Amino acid sequence: MLKIKHFIEQSWLLIVSSFIFGLLIAVTNAAWSPRIIQNEKDKLNNLMTGLISDANNFEIAIEALEIVGSKGKVVRTDLYKALDVNGKNIGFAFIAVGAGFADKIKLVIAVDGAFGKVAGFAVLASNETPGFGSKIKEDYYLSQFKGVPVGKIVLVKTGDAEKIDSEIVAISGATVSSEAVVKIFNTYINNIKEQLQKKGLLNKGK
Amino acid sequence: MAKEAQISTGLFKETFIAGLWRENPVFRLLLGMCPTLAVTAALKPALTMGLSVIFVLFCSNIVVSLMRNLLKPHLRILMFTLTIATFVTIADLFLKAFQPRMSETLGPYVPLIIVNCIIICRAEACASKNPLFVSIIDALGMGIGFTAAMCVLAGIREILSTGAVFEIPVLSLSENGGWFVPWAAMSMPVGAFITLGLLLALVNVITKK
Repeated sequence: MLKIKHFIEQSWLLIVSSFIFGLLIAVTNAAWSPRIIQNEKDKLNNLMTGLISDANNFEIAIEALEIVGSKGKVVRTDLYKALDVNGKNIGFAFIAVGAGFADKIKLVIAVDGAFGKVAGFAVLASNETPGFGSKIKEDYYLSQFKGVPVGKIVLVKTGDAEKIDSEIVAISGATVSSEAVVKIFNTYINNIKEQLQKKGLLNKGK
Repeated sequence: MAKEAQISTGLFKETFIAGLWRENPVFRLLLGMCPTLAVTAALKPALTMGLSVIFVLFCSNIVVSLMRNLLKPHLRILMFTLTIATFVTIADLFLKAFQPRMSETLGPYVPLIIVNCIIICRAEACASKNPLFVSIIDALGMGIGFTAAMCVLAGIREILSTGAVFEIPVLSLSENGGWFVPWAAMSMPVGAFITLGLLLALVNVITKK
């Protein structure tokens, strides 16, 4: 009995303040979490609208699609459907993640409604070397993906960057980052297309 | 009575100035090196980081100073960490809710304020031994001193790596036909170490007199 009294004497402040601090954090979180979630949604929506400019609205087409990654690891991603003003499906977009040079690279990839051509990609989060790997966010690299047919994409060191084909010219000084993006594309895009075809969500013959 | 008041204003002034220069956490005490090196690639993140640290330091110094007589010596570090972690979490949530872009740029460095030694050092060395008012002045002095040092470092790095200050271009870049070639190295860790080293040397030369 004496021991318990001793413990309480020693630690009452710690216990009481833990509760108070816990409460403080809980209240703050309750007040701001809707804003935080909204911010994340807004960012994704903005990026997707930037890629599919005619889109009026995005809605989730398939939740938690399973993708088998390069090391056999299964990752899940939501597939979004882009709808224009008349409610017509004009494209798809999804978040794709892969290893970059320094950290994970998170991309938003968009394709057209028939899943035939890549509409482009945007970087949602990355931590690539400033001045080198960070150039994956620049037009020289981004524009090479616009209009590329869905299929296997290869990275080449030299070539015509302005020609739209499945050969992507690497950024000089940032081969690893360039390669990482191509790898993310190759991991996700065909896989999703096949799954969509199996589910009969794509128009055949296109 | 008048003399006492004079002594205390002198003490407050000295406490405040100490954080700014004589005991500047970055240049004199070399505390909090992790954010100093990591988020000073540009002015905006450095300033945000500095303001977050001022907020956390201010709140934790108040709380620690108020409960300094209740603290059990062997549990004090635990109490400090608990207090600091609470306010850092609040600062982190605030940035996520109202400055989402900045929150992304700073990434893990906001939660890492919890282990920033400036804050725990001030709790231990000042707030747990001094009355409320002195602790508040100390928090402001140290916080502003830290922020100012970060901004000096970040200003130098930003202008040399991008030719801009607060993302507003000031030097004409070579890619637009100007004379200035940006030093990419300055925005990388190597730039942080070199700039900090040179600044420390400069501060040492000035204070040696």
